[in-house]
Amino acid sequence: MTNAKGRIAGYLFVLPALLYMIFFVGYPIIDNIRLSLFDVNVMNLTKGHQSFVGLDNYIELFKEGTLQKVLKNTLIFTISCLVLQFIIGLAFAMLFNLQFRTAQRLRGLVMISWLLPATITAMMFKFMFSSGGIINDLLLKLHLISSPIEWLVNSGTAMFTIILANTWIGIPFNMMLLTAGLTTIPKDVYESAAIDGATAVKRFFKITLPLLKPAIMSLLVLGFIYTFKVFDLVLIITNGGPVNATQMMSTYAYKLSFDQFQYSQGAAISNVMFVLLLIIGVIYLRLLKKEEQL
Amino acid sequence: MRTMFKQSRWLLPLVSIIIVVIFLFPLYWLVVTSFKTEAEIFRSPQTWFPQVWQFKSYTEQLTGSSFDIVNGFRNSLAIAVGALLVSTLLAIPAAYGVARFRFPGRHSFILIFLVTQMLPASLLLTPLFILFKQIGLIGASYWSTILANATAGIPFSVIILRTYFATLPKELEESAKIDGCNTFTTFTRIMLPIAVPGVVVAMVFSFLFAWGDLIYGMTFIGNEELRPITAGIYNFLGFQSTSWNNTMAFGTVSMLPVALLFIFVQRYIVSGLTNGAVKG
Repeated sequence: MTNAKGRIAGYLFVLPALLYMIFFVGYPIIDNIRLSLFDVNVMNLTKGHQSFVGLDNYIELFKEGTLQKVLKNTLIFTISCLVLQFIIGLAFAMLFNLQFRTAQRLRGLVMISWLLPATITAMMFKFMFSSGGIINDLLLKLHLISSPIEWLVNSGTAMFTIILANTWIGIPFNMMLLTAGLTTIPKDVYESAAIDGATAVKRFFKITLPLLKPAIMSLLVLGFIYTFKVFDLVLIITNGGPVNATQMMSTYAYKLSFDQFQYSQGAAISNVMFVLLLIIGVIYLRLLKKEEQL
Repeated sequence: MRTMFKQSRWLLPLVSIIIVVIFLFPLYWLVVTSFKTEAEIFRSPQTWFPQVWQFKSYTEQLTGSSFDIVNGFRNSLAIAVGALLVSTLLAIPAAYGVARFRFPGRHSFILIFLVTQMLPASLLLTPLFILFKQIGLIGASYWSTILANATAGIPFSVIILRTYFATLPKELEESAKIDGCNTFTTFTRIMLPIAVPGVVVAMVFSFLFAWGDLIYGMTFIGNEELRPITAGIYNFLGFQSTSWNNTMAFGTVSMLPVALLFIFVQRYIVSGLTNGAVKG
Protein backbone atom coordinates (compact mmCIF):
# COMPACT_ATOMS: atom_id res chain seq x y z
CA MET A 1 0.00 0.00 0.00
CA THR A 2 1.60 3.21 -1.10
CA ASN A 3 -1.32 5.63 -1.04
CA ALA A 4 -1.79 8.32 1.60
CA LYS A 5 -4.31 6.24 3.54
CA GLY A 6 -1.83 3.36 3.66
CA ARG A 7 0.91 5.67 4.88
CA ILE A 8 -1.20 6.98 7.72
CA ALA A 9 -2.30 3.46 8.66
CA GLY A 10 1.34 2.36 8.71
CA TYR A 11 2.29 5.18 11.08
CA LEU A 12 -0.68 4.43 13.33
CA PHE A 13 0.32 0.79 13.65
CA VAL A 14 3.93 1.64 14.52
CA LEU A 15 3.29 4.69 16.68
CA PRO A 16 2.41 3.10 20.07
CA ALA A 17 5.54 0.93 20.18
CA LEU A 18 7.67 3.76 18.86
CA LEU A 19 6.46 6.22 21.49
CA TYR A 20 7.08 3.60 24.16
CA MET A 21 10.67 3.09 23.00
CA ILE A 22 11.29 6.85 22.76
CA PHE A 23 10.00 7.35 26.29
CA PHE A 24 11.61 4.36 28.02
CA VAL A 25 14.79 3.93 25.91
CA GLY A 26 15.41 7.14 23.98
CA TYR A 27 14.94 9.43 26.92
CA PRO A 28 17.20 7.34 29.24
CA ILE A 29 19.99 7.41 26.64
CA ILE A 30 19.84 11.22 26.52
CA ASP A 31 19.47 11.50 30.29
CA ASN A 32 22.49 9.25 30.77
CA ILE A 33 24.62 11.65 28.73
CA ARG A 34 23.35 14.54 30.87
CA LEU A 35 24.06 12.60 34.09
CA SER A 36 27.63 11.90 33.03
CA LEU A 37 28.31 15.62 32.49
CA PHE A 38 26.98 16.69 35.89
CA ASP A 39 27.89 15.82 39.46
CA VAL A 40 24.93 13.72 40.59
CA ASN A 41 25.01 11.77 43.82
CA VAL A 42 22.52 10.48 46.35
CA MET A 43 21.89 13.99 47.73
CA ASN A 44 20.79 15.65 44.51
CA LEU A 45 19.49 12.71 42.47
CA THR A 46 15.87 13.81 42.13
CA LYS A 47 15.91 17.33 43.54
CA GLY A 48 18.43 20.01 44.41
CA HIS A 49 21.21 21.67 42.50
CA GLN A 50 23.36 19.57 40.16
CA SER A 51 26.55 21.26 39.05
CA PHE A 52 27.91 20.92 35.53
CA VAL A 53 31.37 19.35 35.50
CA GLY A 54 31.90 18.68 31.79
CA LEU A 55 34.04 15.66 31.07
CA ASP A 56 35.47 15.50 34.61
CA ASN A 57 33.76 12.18 35.37
CA TYR A 58 35.32 10.55 32.33
CA ILE A 59 38.72 12.10 33.00
CA GLU A 60 38.71 11.02 36.64
CA LEU A 61 37.83 7.41 35.79
CA PHE A 62 40.54 7.42 33.14
CA LYS A 63 43.17 8.88 35.51
CA GLU A 64 42.29 6.37 38.22
CA GLY A 65 42.87 3.68 35.62
CA THR A 66 39.61 1.94 36.49
CA LEU A 67 38.06 2.68 33.10
CA GLN A 68 40.94 0.97 31.29
CA LYS A 69 40.94 -1.86 33.83
CA VAL A 70 37.25 -2.75 33.43
CA LEU A 71 37.42 -2.27 29.66
CA LYS A 72 40.36 -4.66 29.51
CA ASN A 73 38.55 -7.20 31.74
CA THR A 74 35.42 -7.01 29.63
CA LEU A 75 37.37 -7.47 26.41
CA ILE A 76 39.32 -10.46 27.77
CA PHE A 77 36.06 -11.98 28.99
CA THR A 78 34.19 -11.31 25.76
CA ILE A 79 36.85 -12.55 23.37
CA SER A 80 37.61 -15.69 25.40
CA CYS A 81 33.89 -16.51 25.54
CA LEU A 82 33.45 -15.90 21.81
CA VAL A 83 36.31 -18.22 20.88
CA LEU A 84 35.24 -21.04 23.21
CA GLN A 85 31.54 -20.76 22.36
CA PHE A 86 32.28 -20.77 18.68
CA ILE A 87 34.56 -23.82 18.72
CA ILE A 88 32.26 -25.91 20.92
CA GLY A 89 29.12 -24.58 19.21
CA LEU A 90 30.52 -25.54 15.80
CA ALA A 91 31.48 -28.99 17.06
CA PHE A 92 27.94 -29.48 18.41
CA ALA A 93 26.36 -28.17 15.22
CA MET A 94 28.39 -30.55 13.07
CA LEU A 95 27.82 -33.50 15.38
CA PHE A 96 24.03 -33.09 15.45
CA ASN A 97 24.00 -32.36 11.74
CA LEU A 98 25.08 -35.96 11.06
CA GLN A 99 22.04 -38.07 10.36
CA PHE A 100 21.33 -40.24 13.36
CA ARG A 101 18.20 -41.03 15.25
CA THR A 102 18.48 -38.95 18.42
CA ALA A 103 20.27 -35.99 16.80
CA GLN A 104 17.38 -33.53 16.67
CA ARG A 105 16.14 -34.29 20.16
CA LEU A 106 19.63 -33.92 21.65
CA ARG A 107 20.20 -30.66 19.83
CA GLY A 108 16.95 -29.38 21.31
CA LEU A 109 18.01 -30.38 24.82
CA VAL A 110 21.25 -28.41 24.55
CA MET A 111 19.11 -25.29 24.03
CA ILE A 112 18.02 -25.33 27.69
CA SER A 113 21.23 -23.72 28.93
CA TRP A 114 20.54 -20.70 26.73
CA LEU A 115 16.97 -20.28 27.95
CA LEU A 116 17.64 -20.47 31.69
CA PRO A 117 17.79 -17.27 33.73
CA ALA A 118 21.47 -16.26 34.00
CA THR A 119 20.97 -16.03 37.76
CA ILE A 120 20.35 -19.78 37.96
CA THR A 121 23.39 -20.60 35.84
CA ALA A 122 25.53 -18.26 37.90
CA MET A 123 24.36 -19.84 41.16
CA MET A 124 25.10 -23.29 39.76
CA PHE A 125 28.63 -22.48 38.68
CA LYS A 126 29.35 -20.66 41.93
CA PHE A 127 28.32 -23.81 43.76
CA MET A 128 30.23 -26.22 41.55
CA PHE A 129 33.39 -24.13 41.73
CA SER A 130 33.25 -23.47 45.48
CA SER A 131 36.24 -24.90 47.35
CA GLY A 132 34.26 -27.92 48.57
CA GLY A 133 32.38 -28.24 45.30
CA ILE A 134 32.10 -30.99 42.74
CA ILE A 135 34.84 -29.64 40.43
CA ASN A 136 37.52 -29.79 43.14
CA ASP A 137 36.16 -33.15 44.24
CA LEU A 138 36.53 -34.59 40.75
CA LEU A 139 39.97 -33.11 40.18
CA LEU A 140 41.15 -34.50 43.53
CA LYS A 141 39.74 -37.91 42.71
CA LEU A 142 41.53 -37.93 39.37
CA HIS A 143 44.74 -36.83 41.16
CA LEU A 144 45.04 -33.81 38.90
CA ILE A 145 45.40 -31.56 41.93
CA SER A 146 46.65 -32.34 45.42
CA SER A 147 44.62 -29.76 47.35
CA PRO A 148 41.36 -27.93 46.56
CA ILE A 149 41.68 -24.87 44.32
CA GLU A 150 40.06 -21.66 45.55
CA TRP A 151 38.57 -20.93 42.14
CA LEU A 152 36.79 -17.70 43.05
CA VAL A 153 39.48 -16.32 45.36
CA ASN A 154 42.36 -16.15 42.85
CA SER A 155 41.98 -13.59 40.10
CA GLY A 156 43.02 -15.83 37.20
CA THR A 157 40.81 -18.75 38.13
CA ALA A 158 37.89 -16.45 38.97
CA MET A 159 38.01 -15.03 35.43
CA PHE A 160 38.29 -18.57 34.10
CA THR A 161 35.17 -19.61 36.02
CA ILE A 162 32.96 -16.81 34.73
CA ILE A 163 34.22 -17.39 31.18
CA LEU A 164 33.29 -21.07 31.52
CA ALA A 165 29.83 -20.24 32.89
CA ASN A 166 29.10 -17.78 30.11
CA THR A 167 30.40 -20.18 27.48
CA TRP A 168 27.91 -22.74 28.78
CA ILE A 169 25.12 -20.26 28.14
CA GLY A 170 26.43 -19.20 24.72
CA ILE A 171 27.09 -22.61 23.15
CA PRO A 172 23.45 -23.26 22.07
CA PHE A 173 23.24 -19.82 20.47
CA ASN A 174 26.32 -20.52 18.38
CA MET A 175 25.16 -24.05 17.67
CA MET A 176 21.75 -22.96 16.37
CA LEU A 177 23.07 -20.22 14.09
CA LEU A 178 25.76 -22.53 12.72
CA THR A 179 23.21 -25.31 12.23
CA ALA A 180 21.10 -22.90 10.21
CA GLY A 181 24.22 -22.08 8.20
CA LEU A 182 25.10 -25.75 7.66
CA THR A 183 21.68 -26.53 6.19
CA THR A 184 22.34 -24.01 3.41
CA ILE A 185 25.39 -25.96 2.19
CA PRO A 186 24.27 -28.36 -0.55
CA LYS A 187 25.15 -32.00 0.06
CA ASP A 188 26.52 -32.64 -3.42
CA VAL A 189 29.38 -30.20 -2.80
CA TYR A 190 30.73 -32.62 -0.21
CA GLU A 191 30.05 -35.62 -2.38
CA SER A 192 31.97 -34.29 -5.36
CA ALA A 193 34.80 -33.22 -3.08
CA ALA A 194 34.92 -36.71 -1.61
CA ILE A 195 35.07 -38.18 -5.12
CA ASP A 196 37.95 -35.85 -5.91
CA GLY A 197 39.75 -37.36 -2.95
CA ALA A 198 39.51 -34.50 -0.45
CA THR A 199 40.06 -35.67 3.12
CA ALA A 200 37.59 -34.86 5.92
CA VAL A 201 39.96 -32.23 7.30
CA LYS A 202 40.38 -30.66 3.90
CA ARG A 203 36.60 -30.66 3.30
CA PHE A 204 36.12 -28.88 6.64
CA PHE A 205 38.62 -26.10 5.92
CA LYS A 206 37.98 -25.76 2.17
CA ILE A 207 34.18 -26.15 2.08
CA THR A 208 32.45 -25.98 5.46
CA LEU A 209 34.23 -22.98 6.97
CA PRO A 210 34.23 -20.75 3.84
CA LEU A 211 30.55 -21.45 3.14
CA LEU A 212 29.64 -20.78 6.78
CA LYS A 213 31.30 -17.36 6.65
CA PRO A 214 28.09 -15.27 6.60
CA ALA A 215 26.67 -17.18 9.57
CA ILE A 216 29.99 -16.95 11.42
CA MET A 217 30.27 -13.20 10.86
CA SER A 218 26.81 -12.39 12.19
CA LEU A 219 27.13 -14.72 15.16
CA LEU A 220 30.50 -13.25 16.15
CA VAL A 221 29.13 -9.71 16.00
CA LEU A 222 25.90 -10.57 17.81
CA GLY A 223 27.82 -12.73 20.28
CA PHE A 224 30.16 -9.81 20.99
CA ILE A 225 27.22 -7.54 21.74
CA TYR A 226 25.45 -10.04 23.99
CA THR A 227 28.64 -11.05 25.82
CA PHE A 228 30.02 -7.54 26.24
CA LYS A 229 27.00 -6.47 28.28
CA VAL A 230 27.22 -9.42 30.70
CA PHE A 231 25.87 -8.48 34.11
CA ASP A 232 23.90 -10.96 36.25
CA LEU A 233 26.39 -13.75 35.78
CA VAL A 234 29.42 -11.80 37.00
CA LEU A 235 27.49 -10.02 39.74
CA ILE A 236 26.51 -13.34 41.28
CA ILE A 237 29.60 -15.50 40.74
CA THR A 238 32.35 -13.03 41.66
CA ASN A 239 30.71 -9.63 42.17
CA GLY A 240 33.70 -8.23 40.30
CA GLY A 241 36.20 -9.65 42.75
CA PRO A 242 38.76 -10.53 43.88
CA VAL A 243 39.76 -6.84 44.01
CA ASN A 244 38.16 -5.89 40.68
CA ALA A 245 39.95 -8.70 38.85
CA THR A 246 36.68 -9.71 37.17
CA GLN A 247 34.99 -6.32 37.30
CA MET A 248 33.14 -5.78 34.00
CA MET A 249 31.96 -2.48 32.57
CA SER A 250 28.33 -3.22 33.43
CA THR A 251 28.99 -4.45 36.96
CA TYR A 252 31.31 -1.52 37.62
CA ALA A 253 28.72 0.96 36.36
CA TYR A 254 26.20 -0.68 38.67
CA LYS A 255 28.60 -0.63 41.62
CA LEU A 256 29.38 3.05 41.12
CA SER A 257 25.72 4.01 40.79
CA PHE A 258 23.96 1.80 43.30
CA ASP A 259 26.63 0.85 45.88
CA GLN A 260 28.61 4.08 46.00
CA PHE A 261 25.84 6.38 44.72
CA GLN A 262 28.22 8.03 42.24
CA TYR A 263 25.47 8.15 39.63
CA SER A 264 27.45 10.40 37.30
CA GLN A 265 30.50 8.15 37.20
CA GLY A 266 28.30 5.12 36.67
CA ALA A 267 26.64 6.93 33.77
CA ALA A 268 30.06 7.76 32.29
CA ILE A 269 31.04 4.07 32.26
CA SER A 270 27.67 3.16 30.71
CA ASN A 271 28.17 5.73 27.98
CA VAL A 272 31.59 4.37 27.04
CA MET A 273 29.92 0.96 26.79
CA PHE A 274 27.13 2.43 24.69
CA VAL A 275 29.52 3.98 22.18
CA LEU A 276 31.50 0.75 21.83
CA LEU A 277 28.33 -1.32 21.31
CA LEU A 278 27.03 1.25 18.84
CA ILE A 279 30.17 0.86 16.72
CA ILE A 280 29.78 -2.92 16.74
CA GLY A 281 26.05 -2.48 16.03
CA VAL A 282 26.81 -0.40 12.93
CA ILE A 283 29.17 -3.14 11.72
CA TYR A 284 26.36 -5.65 12.23
CA LEU A 285 23.88 -3.54 10.26
CA ARG A 286 26.43 -3.25 7.45
CA LEU A 287 26.70 -7.04 7.39
CA LEU A 288 22.93 -7.39 7.21
CA LYS A 289 22.74 -4.93 4.33
CA LYS A 290 25.45 -6.82 2.51
CA GLU A 291 23.39 -9.97 2.77
CA GLU A 292 20.39 -7.95 1.59
CA GLN A 293 18.28 -9.13 4.45
CA LEU A 294 17.23 -5.69 5.60
CA MET B 1 35.01 -40.64 9.77
CA ARG B 2 31.54 -40.89 8.35
CA THR B 3 32.00 -44.47 7.21
CA MET B 4 33.37 -45.46 10.59
CA PHE B 5 30.24 -44.14 12.27
CA LYS B 6 27.97 -45.76 9.72
CA GLN B 7 29.45 -49.15 10.47
CA SER B 8 28.32 -49.03 14.07
CA ARG B 9 24.93 -47.42 14.19
CA TRP B 10 24.79 -47.21 17.95
CA LEU B 11 28.16 -45.53 18.46
CA LEU B 12 27.21 -42.05 17.27
CA PRO B 13 23.99 -41.76 19.30
CA LEU B 14 25.79 -43.13 22.35
CA VAL B 15 28.68 -40.68 22.14
CA SER B 16 26.23 -37.82 21.56
CA ILE B 17 24.10 -38.79 24.53
CA ILE B 18 27.15 -38.91 26.79
CA ILE B 19 28.23 -35.45 25.58
CA VAL B 20 24.77 -33.98 26.21
CA VAL B 21 24.55 -35.61 29.64
CA ILE B 22 27.87 -34.03 30.63
CA PHE B 23 26.76 -30.70 29.16
CA LEU B 24 23.51 -30.67 31.13
CA PHE B 25 25.05 -32.07 34.30
CA PRO B 26 24.81 -28.68 36.12
CA LEU B 27 21.00 -28.89 35.90
CA TYR B 28 20.96 -32.36 37.43
CA TRP B 29 23.32 -31.19 40.14
CA LEU B 30 21.07 -28.22 40.90
CA VAL B 31 17.95 -30.33 41.37
CA VAL B 32 19.72 -33.10 43.28
CA THR B 33 21.39 -30.68 45.68
CA SER B 34 18.03 -29.18 46.61
CA PHE B 35 17.01 -32.60 47.99
CA LYS B 36 20.21 -33.25 49.95
CA THR B 37 20.75 -32.50 53.61
CA GLU B 38 23.07 -29.64 54.54
CA ALA B 39 25.61 -32.17 55.86
CA GLU B 40 25.60 -34.28 52.72
CA ILE B 41 26.15 -31.38 50.33
CA PHE B 42 29.80 -30.81 51.20
CA ARG B 43 30.68 -34.37 52.13
CA SER B 44 33.81 -35.66 50.51
CA PRO B 45 33.68 -37.66 48.32
CA GLN B 46 30.51 -36.15 46.92
CA THR B 47 27.41 -38.29 46.54
CA TRP B 48 25.98 -38.44 43.03
CA PHE B 49 22.55 -39.21 44.38
CA PRO B 50 21.02 -38.11 47.71
CA GLN B 51 21.57 -40.78 50.38
CA VAL B 52 18.80 -39.24 52.45
CA TRP B 53 16.06 -37.43 50.60
CA GLN B 54 14.91 -34.34 52.41
CA PHE B 55 12.14 -32.02 51.26
CA LYS B 56 12.62 -29.40 53.98
CA SER B 57 14.24 -26.99 51.51
CA TYR B 58 10.85 -26.78 49.83
CA THR B 59 8.35 -27.31 52.62
CA GLU B 60 9.99 -24.95 55.09
CA GLN B 61 10.22 -22.20 52.52
CA LEU B 62 6.75 -22.51 51.12
CA THR B 63 5.21 -19.93 53.37
CA GLY B 64 6.02 -17.98 56.47
CA SER B 65 9.21 -16.00 55.95
CA SER B 66 9.17 -12.57 54.35
CA PHE B 67 10.41 -14.06 51.09
CA ASP B 68 9.23 -17.60 50.45
CA ILE B 69 9.03 -19.75 47.32
CA VAL B 70 5.33 -19.14 46.63
CA ASN B 71 5.81 -15.43 47.06
CA GLY B 72 8.84 -15.26 44.80
CA PHE B 73 7.19 -17.40 42.14
CA ARG B 74 4.11 -15.21 42.13
CA ASN B 75 6.20 -12.04 41.83
CA SER B 76 8.28 -13.41 38.96
CA LEU B 77 5.12 -14.60 37.23
CA ALA B 78 3.38 -11.23 37.62
CA ILE B 79 6.41 -9.40 36.23
CA ALA B 80 6.96 -11.81 33.34
CA VAL B 81 3.29 -11.96 32.32
CA GLY B 82 2.99 -8.19 32.62
CA ALA B 83 6.05 -7.65 30.43
CA LEU B 84 4.75 -10.22 27.95
CA LEU B 85 1.40 -8.44 27.64
CA VAL B 86 2.91 -4.97 27.25
CA SER B 87 5.50 -6.24 24.73
CA THR B 88 3.17 -8.23 22.50
CA LEU B 89 0.32 -5.70 22.55
CA LEU B 90 2.68 -2.99 21.31
CA ALA B 91 4.94 -5.13 19.12
CA ILE B 92 2.28 -6.92 17.04
CA PRO B 93 0.82 -3.79 15.39
CA ALA B 94 4.28 -2.22 15.05
CA ALA B 95 5.65 -5.31 13.29
CA TYR B 96 2.58 -5.38 11.02
CA GLY B 97 3.05 -1.71 10.24
CA VAL B 98 6.70 -1.96 9.18
CA ALA B 99 6.13 -5.23 7.31
CA ARG B 100 3.02 -4.41 5.26
CA PHE B 101 2.99 -0.66 4.65
CA ARG B 102 5.35 1.54 2.69
CA PHE B 103 5.89 4.88 4.37
CA PRO B 104 8.77 7.32 4.77
CA GLY B 105 10.91 6.53 7.82
CA ARG B 106 10.00 2.85 7.78
CA HIS B 107 13.62 1.74 7.52
CA SER B 108 14.70 4.05 10.33
CA PHE B 109 12.00 2.55 12.54
CA ILE B 110 13.28 -0.96 11.87
CA LEU B 111 16.79 0.31 12.58
CA ILE B 112 15.67 1.79 15.90
CA PHE B 113 14.23 -1.56 16.99
CA LEU B 114 17.37 -3.40 15.85
CA VAL B 115 19.66 -1.08 17.79
CA THR B 116 17.62 -0.91 20.99
CA GLN B 117 17.69 -4.69 21.12
CA MET B 118 21.44 -4.49 21.65
CA LEU B 119 21.49 -2.00 24.52
CA PRO B 120 22.74 -3.13 27.93
CA ALA B 121 20.27 -2.91 30.81
CA SER B 122 22.83 -1.03 32.90
CA LEU B 123 22.63 1.86 30.41
CA LEU B 124 18.94 2.43 31.05
CA LEU B 125 19.05 1.63 34.75
CA THR B 126 19.87 4.94 36.43
CA PRO B 127 17.75 7.20 34.17
CA LEU B 128 14.79 4.83 34.52
CA PHE B 129 15.36 4.72 38.29
CA ILE B 130 15.15 8.53 38.44
CA LEU B 131 12.15 8.58 36.09
CA PHE B 132 10.21 5.96 38.06
CA LYS B 133 11.11 7.65 41.32
CA GLN B 134 9.67 10.91 40.05
CA ILE B 135 6.41 9.35 38.93
CA GLY B 136 6.14 7.28 42.11
CA LEU B 137 6.69 3.80 40.68
CA ILE B 138 9.72 2.86 42.79
CA GLY B 139 8.86 0.72 45.79
CA ALA B 140 5.71 -1.28 46.25
CA SER B 141 4.75 -2.07 42.67
CA TYR B 142 5.62 -4.44 39.83
CA TRP B 143 5.01 -1.74 37.22
CA SER B 144 8.52 -0.25 37.14
CA THR B 145 10.04 -3.68 36.46
CA ILE B 146 7.35 -4.65 33.95
CA LEU B 147 7.84 -1.43 31.95
CA ALA B 148 11.63 -1.76 32.02
CA ASN B 149 11.58 -5.39 30.90
CA ALA B 150 9.26 -4.59 28.01
CA THR B 151 12.04 -2.42 26.54
CA ALA B 152 13.83 -5.70 25.74
CA GLY B 153 10.71 -7.63 24.70
CA ILE B 154 9.32 -5.06 22.26
CA PRO B 155 12.26 -4.73 19.83
CA PHE B 156 12.87 -8.49 19.80
CA SER B 157 9.17 -9.18 19.13
CA VAL B 158 8.95 -6.55 16.39
CA ILE B 159 11.94 -8.03 14.59
CA ILE B 160 10.64 -11.62 14.82
CA LEU B 161 7.07 -10.73 13.85
CA ARG B 162 8.16 -8.49 10.99
CA THR B 163 9.69 -11.44 9.15
CA TYR B 164 6.47 -13.37 9.76
CA PHE B 165 4.13 -10.70 8.47
CA ALA B 166 6.41 -9.94 5.53
CA THR B 167 6.17 -13.51 4.20
CA LEU B 168 2.34 -13.57 4.08
CA PRO B 169 0.97 -13.31 0.51
CA LYS B 170 -0.40 -9.96 -0.64
CA GLU B 171 -3.54 -11.60 -2.06
CA LEU B 172 -4.79 -12.18 1.47
CA GLU B 173 -5.11 -8.45 2.09
CA GLU B 174 -6.65 -7.83 -1.31
CA SER B 175 -9.34 -10.47 -0.93
CA ALA B 176 -10.09 -9.25 2.57
CA LYS B 177 -10.65 -5.77 1.10
CA ILE B 178 -13.07 -7.17 -1.45
CA ASP B 179 -14.95 -8.97 1.32
CA GLY B 180 -15.48 -5.63 3.00
CA CYS B 181 -12.70 -5.53 5.61
CA ASN B 182 -11.07 -2.21 6.38
CA THR B 183 -7.37 -1.89 7.20
CA PHE B 184 -7.91 -2.61 10.88
CA THR B 185 -10.23 -5.60 10.49
CA THR B 186 -7.96 -7.05 7.80
CA PHE B 187 -5.23 -7.00 10.40
CA THR B 188 -7.25 -8.47 13.30
CA ARG B 189 -9.42 -10.98 11.41
CA ILE B 190 -7.21 -12.16 8.57
CA MET B 191 -3.51 -11.46 9.12
CA LEU B 192 -3.18 -11.89 12.88
CA PRO B 193 -4.68 -15.41 13.05
CA ILE B 194 -2.25 -16.62 10.39
CA ALA B 195 0.72 -15.15 12.25
CA VAL B 196 -0.02 -17.07 15.47
CA PRO B 197 3.22 -19.16 15.34
CA GLY B 198 5.23 -15.95 15.17
CA VAL B 199 3.20 -14.40 17.96
CA VAL B 200 3.90 -17.46 20.13
CA VAL B 201 7.66 -17.05 19.63
CA ALA B 202 7.46 -13.36 20.48
CA MET B 203 5.43 -14.10 23.60
CA VAL B 204 7.75 -16.86 24.78
CA PHE B 205 10.81 -14.66 24.46
CA SER B 206 9.17 -11.63 26.06
CA PHE B 207 8.20 -13.89 28.95
CA LEU B 208 11.66 -15.46 29.25
CA PHE B 209 13.50 -12.12 29.16
CA ALA B 210 11.42 -10.83 32.06
CA TRP B 211 11.45 -14.16 33.89
CA GLY B 212 15.25 -14.11 33.96
CA ASP B 213 15.52 -10.46 34.91
CA LEU B 214 17.55 -9.63 37.98
CA ILE B 215 18.89 -6.10 37.57
CA TYR B 216 15.57 -4.24 37.15
CA GLY B 217 13.73 -6.23 39.81
CA MET B 218 16.34 -5.76 42.49
CA THR B 219 16.93 -2.09 41.71
CA PHE B 220 13.39 -0.81 41.24
CA ILE B 221 11.38 -2.87 43.72
CA GLY B 222 12.18 -1.55 47.18
CA ASN B 223 9.73 -3.83 48.94
CA GLU B 224 11.51 -7.16 49.38
CA GLU B 225 8.25 -9.11 49.46
CA LEU B 226 7.50 -8.07 45.88
CA ARG B 227 10.88 -8.98 44.37
CA PRO B 228 11.28 -11.76 41.78
CA ILE B 229 12.87 -15.15 42.55
CA THR B 230 16.13 -14.11 40.91
CA ALA B 231 16.53 -11.25 43.39
CA GLY B 232 15.78 -13.70 46.21
CA ILE B 233 18.57 -15.98 45.00
CA TYR B 234 20.93 -13.03 44.78
CA ASN B 235 20.15 -12.15 48.38
CA PHE B 236 20.64 -15.74 49.54
CA LEU B 237 24.07 -15.87 47.92
CA GLY B 238 25.08 -12.66 49.63
CA PHE B 239 24.92 -14.21 53.10
CA GLN B 240 28.12 -15.23 54.85
CA SER B 241 27.27 -18.93 54.78
CA THR B 242 24.96 -19.81 51.96
CA SER B 243 22.33 -22.41 52.70
CA TRP B 244 22.87 -24.20 49.42
CA ASN B 245 19.96 -26.62 49.50
CA ASN B 246 17.51 -23.79 50.19
CA THR B 247 18.98 -21.69 47.39
CA MET B 248 18.87 -24.67 45.02
CA ALA B 249 15.19 -25.16 45.87
CA PHE B 250 14.54 -21.62 44.66
CA GLY B 251 16.61 -22.34 41.58
CA THR B 252 14.67 -25.52 40.80
CA VAL B 253 11.35 -23.70 41.12
CA SER B 254 12.52 -20.88 38.90
CA MET B 255 13.62 -23.44 36.31
CA LEU B 256 10.16 -25.02 36.09
CA PRO B 257 8.42 -22.55 33.74
CA VAL B 258 11.47 -22.56 31.46
CA ALA B 259 11.36 -26.36 31.33
CA LEU B 260 7.62 -26.38 30.63
CA LEU B 261 7.91 -23.76 27.88
CA PHE B 262 10.79 -25.71 26.45
CA ILE B 263 8.80 -28.94 26.29
CA PHE B 264 5.73 -27.39 24.66
CA VAL B 265 7.10 -24.75 22.32
CA GLN B 266 10.64 -25.90 21.61
CA ARG B 267 10.02 -26.03 17.87
CA TYR B 268 8.91 -22.41 17.82
CA ILE B 269 11.83 -21.31 19.98
CA VAL B 270 14.41 -22.79 17.64
CA SER B 271 12.90 -21.10 14.59
CA GLY B 272 12.50 -17.86 16.53
CA LEU B 273 16.11 -17.79 17.61
CA THR B 274 17.45 -18.31 14.10
CA ASN B 275 14.95 -15.91 12.51
CA GLY B 276 15.41 -13.17 15.09
CA ALA B 277 19.16 -13.34 15.17
CA VAL B 278 20.23 -14.18 11.64
CA LYS B 279 17.66 -12.48 9.53
CA GLY B 280 17.38 -9.53 11.88
